[in-house]
Amino acid sequence: MTERKSPTAVLREGPRALSDAQVREIEDSSLEQVLNVDIDDVIEYVHKDLRSLPDFTTLYRKYLKQRWDVYDLDFSQDKIDWQEKMTEEERQSFIAVASGFHHGERQVEIELPVFMIGASEEEKLHIAAQIEDEARHTVFFDRFYREVVGLKGDDIMDILDASFPWVSETFVAPFGLLAYQADELRLHPYDERARVRYGTNYFLWIEGVLALSVMKVTLSYARWRGFLPAYYTGFTATCRDESRHVQGGMRYLQDAVRKDPTMIKEIHDTLRTILSVSGVVSRRIYYEPLGWTDDEVRVLFFQQLRRKLNDVGIGLSPDLEDLLQKVQPVLAGG
Amino acid sequence: MADFFSKEWADAVRDALTAGPDEQARAVKLQEYWDFFDFLKSIYPASWALGCRDRGSYLFVQWSGGTVTDCRIIGPDDPLQATYVLGMDYRDWKALHDGYDAQRTVMYRKIMLEQGDLLEFFKAIYFFVESLAVISAVPAAYP
Repeated sequence: MTERKSPTAVLREGPRALSDAQVREIEDSSLEQVLNVDIDDVIEYVHKDLRSLPDFTTLYRKYLKQRWDVYDLDFSQDKIDWQEKMTEEERQSFIAVASGFHHGERQVEIELPVFMIGASEEEKLHIAAQIEDEARHTVFFDRFYREVVGLKGDDIMDILDASFPWVSETFVAPFGLLAYQADELRLHPYDERARVRYGTNYFLWIEGVLALSVMKVTLSYARWRGFLPAYYTGFTATCRDESRHVQGGMRYLQDAVRKDPTMIKEIHDTLRTILSVSGVVSRRIYYEPLGWTDDEVRVLFFQQLRRKLNDVGIGLSPDLEDLLQKVQPVLAGG
Repeated sequence: MADFFSKEWADAVRDALTAGPDEQARAVKLQEYWDFFDFLKSIYPASWALGCRDRGSYLFVQWSGGTVTDCRIIGPDDPLQATYVLGMDYRDWKALHDGYDAQRTVMYRKIMLEQGDLLEFFKAIYFFVESLAVISAVPAAYP
């Protein structure tokens, strides 16, 4: 962790170009080496392949090479940083952001299996790998909350219960919708329109926009301050996993629209619901101790959305553009 | 105290929903969230049939003009017509009454949408979740 750029610098720098050496560093790093990888490079790497999306077998082969053992992480320095170096304001801000991820990983783990039923055989391999990834990410947060934050509990649900008070009321919009969409697929696993609506929420919004943005906030903070090395290592490795998930998800949506251009309506309808409830917050999360403002976080969300849509060639209807403008603040200064 | 899923309980639910979340609930969330809730409530035109699967009965709630215009129990043999039909097991109704979180009741698929347009339903999800919390707080005897 040599570079100490401010957490929000990338918002103003714009997309960065990755050299072949940087791509190799991201793709081939062992878990220990991930500590040296810049999170902004990993997020850029997510977008690298969106214009020429890899097939599902390639993604599965990448999974086999990039799989990491969540029990190899040693959180002892993180515990020292958490207890002795971070301020109370930093801890509260960090946990308010991270708790959404703690619960989000659990949700995307358990809602994914039904999507596999209607998938091609190659995509089933990729989804099976993704379910294992999400389970590992769930354990990663369980360990972080137990060993660093100090929450107590006999099992995974006890720890989820203990961190739930930090989860915002608006969490239910994307993740409740995902639960209900999964139930729709349970009943109609081959309904391609329902699958596209599910994929829009899961792969485009939750993973492509929310997850990558939240990752960026806490990881940039950890890198900037030089704190929480095991969290940085495990969560950056998680981000590398997410790059495969987002690429696979965008591949699915792109293929669905190419096969049947009317599927764009399902994507738009889903985004219309998501955006209509996304401009509301129920509690104030103080991002400032982590080096961010509210508006910068929201700009990050919508930058992520626009890049995914542009890269995979999905346009927005005029009413969705209007809706997006209403909920998207302008990043002032620079 | 009224019995759960009785006429008296449905009457109390109607009054509680029309009144909306109390000051204690409002105090812990931002005003902008409640502004959105109040806006949705004022224009919400739909009805809910909230089922207790073990009994085969539903709590029917019709919204119009920011108030509950009809709230009653629909029995297993009565015709069922509502914009959104949802179902939940008795044990989860009781858990909700005993303090289980309304948001997680939705997220953990304890209450499920059985009929109705899913994407339209979620445009008012905060209104629904807060209303579910209001219903759960209505005093009732759960046998």
